Amino acid sequence: MIELQNLGCNYDAKTILKNISLKIATHLTVLGPNGAGKSTLAKALCNLVAYDGEISIDTKNLQDYAAKELAKKIAYIPTKLEFYDEFLTLEEFVLLGRFAHKESFLDYSDADRSIAAANITLLGLKELSSHLLSELSSGETALALIAQALTQESQIIIFDEPTANLDPKNSKIIARHIKNLKQTHQTVLITHDLHLANFIASPVLFLKEQQAHYFEDDFFNDANLSKLYDVKIQSLAVQYA
Amino acid sequence: MRSVIIWTLLIAVLLVSPFMGAVDLNISDIVQSNSLAAQIFYDIRLPRVIFTFFAGLILALSGLLFQTLFRNPLMTPYTLGISSGATLGAGIAIKLGLSSVLFGLAAVSLFGFLGAMLTIFLLLYLAQFLKGSQQTALLLLGIALSLFYTSALMLVFYLGNTIQNDMLIRFTMGSLSVIGWSSPLVISVVASLLLFAVYAYRFELQLLGVSQESAKLKGVESKKVTLILLLIASFAIGLLVSISGPIGFVGLVVPHIVAKLYPQTVQKRIIKTALFGGFFLVLCDTLSRALPTQSELPIGIITALIGGPFFIYLIISRIK
Repeated sequence: MIELQNLGCNYDAKTILKNISLKIATHLTVLGPNGAGKSTLAKALCNLVAYDGEISIDTKNLQDYAAKELAKKIAYIPTKLEFYDEFLTLEEFVLLGRFAHKESFLDYSDADRSIAAANITLLGLKELSSHLLSELSSGETALALIAQALTQESQIIIFDEPTANLDPKNSKIIARHIKNLKQTHQTVLITHDLHLANFIASPVLFLKEQQAHYFEDDFFNDANLSKLYDVKIQSLAVQYA
Repeated sequence: MRSVIIWTLLIAVLLVSPFMGAVDLNISDIVQSNSLAAQIFYDIRLPRVIFTFFAGLILALSGLLFQTLFRNPLMTPYTLGISSGATLGAGIAIKLGLSSVLFGLAAVSLFGFLGAMLTIFLLLYLAQFLKGSQQTALLLLGIALSLFYTSALMLVFYLGNTIQNDMLIRFTMGSLSVIGWSSPLVISVVASLLLFAVYAYRFELQLLGVSQESAKLKGVESKKVTLILLLIASFAIGLLVSISGPIGFVGLVVPHIVAKLYPQTVQKRIIKTALFGGFFLVLCDTLSRALPTQSELPIGIITALIGGPFFIYLIISRIK
């Protein structure tokens, strides 16, 4: 259960989000034009950016969570993985998801390692376990990020434009994983991919010009989308001609 | 195999090192107590080798630490201007003629230490105004500070007399010559403390080595951990530089050599980098004493002469 009260965000003295109040009890898809504040909203939920107003998760204020406690509540999957340590293998990377669960100062336990291994297998990455993260393709990296988020065993998973860098085949694989995860996790999906959003079929929060519009259902029709995105849309696809 | 040869060589140098120098010693000399050879060995050579080993450990480990915390291979206490801060502090003490002792510490050391600590606090303060993605700006700040300190040091030179300037030049070249056991003792305790702290936080450090965002999302109190580790490392560096003067390139080059030998994650390279740094500086120091020059070469010159070309080689081989 995520609750937003008068949420506002500024970026470089520019107001991105203003006065958003909302209770998110189940799944959510966040849509909206570029710069509408979708990623900012996601980062605010993870306490990665400063915000005004109040965010609470399970009736507890986000600011009152210790870092480890918050990691057990919420996992965030970025569009693009940035990492400095070039010698990190896929296996080691996924295991890092267990940090919040392991004893301070002690090594990851055998249980931690088997949870990580199970998720690597679940995402079909077993063959790549010992490969370096830097050697993986975009599609494989996207799967590795999901494996790590699952290993974190949080209640909520946020997907920030998960298919932005992927080809149609990999997009489909990721879409199926997200759909499956709706049964075990509360999911928040941020995307520009209307087909993906339609397939996931969660209630929609549409962000536009600092305003938020909530659609429980009946969102995915061309007339509605054309109006919101300000471009002609047919069968959920933009008409370029 | 390559690494076995390198480590064996380095340990051999460590063992041979105390016997080399202006007076060559052998084992039969030093077992006779009260002989001049025994005195040189126990009061000068042995403390020096131990001091050098732990100095190298501090330099290499804080290099790895800064590189990882700031996620930039060029970030070291040396490139960030912390060593220059210490040098300027020591320079001011020498210029003011504070060669005596303040609060039980040599004034030059005390001022050097203050210079290093002031620099790190200034950097931490300025870093607040940078966004997470602007790590390069911090490096530029460090370089700007270094240049500023160098100019300020020039002013001290300009105002100083010949004797003061001679002391100052000696200090800026770096020196590992210690007499007696007090400096080796202090530095070995501080080095152990640093190694312990870095090792205790190795899992946090591994996550910070992925990205700051990633560390925070996985449950690391990233601000707190970064601050603790930076303060301990700066304290160690400040203390070291105040005794030895600035010694460049070790913090920059050793972590890269170890990463070449062991292509593993940061977490697995902590102990290796620390030990390699110690052995590497002992090697450089042994060279400085063994080379057929009139007197021993200042250590800063040796590390720069070895480290500079090697670093260029590393960069070029990486680009290929």
